[in-house]
Amino acid sequence: VTHLGDALSALLDGELTPAEARAAEAHLGACEPCRHELAATSAARSLVRGLPVVDPPFGVFERLRRPAWRRGVAAVTGGAAAAVLLLVLTTPPADPVEPPVRALVERHAASASAGGDPVTELVSVGVPVAPEP
Amino acid sequence: MASGEAPTWEEVARSHGRFLYTVAYRLTGNHEDAQDLVQEVMLRVQRGLATYRPGSMEGWLSRIATNAFLDDVRRRRRRPVEALPDDPDRTVPAARGADEALAASSLPDDVQAALAGLPPDYRAAVVLCDVVGLPYHEIAEMLDVPVGTVRSRIHRGRALLREVLAP
Repeated sequence: VTHLGDALSALLDGELTPAEARAAEAHLGACEPCRHELAATSAARSLVRGLPVVDPPFGVFERLRRPAWRRGVAAVTGGAAAAVLLLVLTTPPADPVEPPVRALVERHAASASAGGDPVTELVSVGVPVAPEP
Repeated sequence: MASGEAPTWEEVARSHGRFLYTVAYRLTGNHEDAQDLVQEVMLRVQRGLATYRPGSMEGWLSRIATNAFLDDVRRRRRRPVEALPDDPDRTVPAARGADEALAASSLPDDVQAALAGLPPDYRAAVVLCDVVGLPYHEIAEMLDVPVGTVRSRIHRGRALLREVLAP
């Protein structure tokens, strides 16, 4: 025997065609388990349908309704702040200055030793290296 | 309201605020989430994101609320940390008497708690049917499922409520 199952809810909700409803009623007349399930389903349905309207807590809608200009200002300042934050977060840190000390020293040492005379090196910068005659 | 035009924010809040809040509370099961849901619905109303079709204003708001509710449920599911199985708000009330005593003995808070314990898809179908009072075909269209699925969810939802309220 196939029981009515969810057709019971459909029957209670007026969602069966007249022919389906007649067939369901006929089945119910002969089926104790389905009658029991119908009563239980009907009770659960009535409980939910009997739930009261719920008043919104005070100020729920008022809190959502702020003057349009203020929302606009909030959006603009919020947008600007977000842009600044994004800039800060996405700008890579500046490279630390690392003077090529080693290369300079080596170059200097090479030229100094090649010349053999650190003093003559200074000719190029205009320092007199020999006493005037 | 001119026919065919989307209602303004003020019209919704003034004329349908209690209805919307009731649906939000029955769907979410607590005031905190209900207020968040109302806020989301009003945002969608304001942005004109939800296409208004002339007809029942309450049906329109129910559709937005249900979609926003189910969107939120799916979002939370993707963040399993928040899905606390031991959430005390979800605790089901103590057992009561037989079916015959069901209607007489169940307080609205107990019924609401039992409703909150239903899987969200069943809960949405039951709320749209028994709180909003929509026919199956409209619920099916709102939830984007076949009418047979709506019928099944409503019936299973009621069976689960019965088990919880009168085991």
